[in-house]
Amino acid sequence: MTLEPLMSEARERLITRARREDLITVGYDTMDSPLGPLWIAVGPRGVVAIHYGKPDERELGRISRTYGPAVLPDRRRCDRIEIELDQYFAGRRRAFDVHFDLTPLTPFQRSILAATAKVPYGEVTTYRTVARKAGNEQASRAAGGALGANPIPIVVPCHRVVATDGSLGGYAGGLDAKRRLLALERGEARVPAGGWPPARKV
Amino acid sequence: MVTFGELLERHEREIFAYALRLTGDRDDADDLYQETFLAAFRGWPPPRSGNERAWLYKIATNKAIDRARKQRGLVSLADLRLAAPERDGVTLADLRNAIRLLPGGQRAAFVLRKIEGRPYQEIADTLGCSEEAARSRVAEAMKKLKEAIR
Repeated sequence: MTLEPLMSEARERLITRARREDLITVGYDTMDSPLGPLWIAVGPRGVVAIHYGKPDERELGRISRTYGPAVLPDRRRCDRIEIELDQYFAGRRRAFDVHFDLTPLTPFQRSILAATAKVPYGEVTTYRTVARKAGNEQASRAAGGALGANPIPIVVPCHRVVATDGSLGGYAGGLDAKRRLLALERGEARVPAGGWPPARKV
Repeated sequence: MVTFGELLERHEREIFAYALRLTGDRDDADDLYQETFLAAFRGWPPPRSGNERAWLYKIATNKAIDRARKQRGLVSLADLRLAAPERDGVTLADLRNAIRLLPGGQRAAFVLRKIEGRPYQEIADTLGCSEEAARSRVAEAMKKLKEAIR
């Protein structure tokens, strides 16, 4: 007999009690997706992070500086967004209903992400257009930076923003992931059973 | 800044194992583990930054001593097998009974030293006593255990 089964049952009970006592400010969970595991965190005002793979210390630091140390695994808190992401990957959802929270970002980053959030499903726009809609057409490079630091990819669809010359630009989840999301939204590809093969990170 | 999630990931296994060794019972260990982390979350931050591990041990030890005062439950054989391997011809049942009879502070000192292999300074910090007192608690516990299983 090993400790692990006892341990995980005890952890579930601990999390339930912490939730009842209102000791969790940000709850997180990891879900499987066709693009690999996604780490999701939900705060008091909505989704605060979607991260490809495990979050690094910088990401956790950003969250704890903003919301305090009460960041705990909480599957229940992440239920809604996980259901919506599953529907999105299955091609049954074009927009997300969950609230999201961009509080820790600068006003410029927020305006770039707000402009990005309005790009319709299946369409693409350019960094320059997003910068213009955020009020500064000259800031397309800074717009790229803000999108690169987008804490909530997929829900804030930064994959729909490409370079003016038509090349893909960059993407936190890797360019394969960006290509796949665009193909999925255009109806050019469906998610194969068992998900896409592992993406190359660029 | 350490998050509660990181605190759990880093220390929950050893705190659970420690709880199991202190109580000798899986249900009590489960409760003790939960009480320890809930108390840590409620009482955050620890008195000294970077010292979370020692702080958790201290909370667990104090909670275990409180529990032991309130109830003197039986230790189950299966849980003790997880906690301490059988050796030297001493049966687990003998050891179970002997550990059960130790006072809370001696039991914690014994587990920390003889099962967890901690330095005396750390045991003293955890138990909130002097190093000398920690040594004497372990010695006293050993003496009682030897007498009990002779």
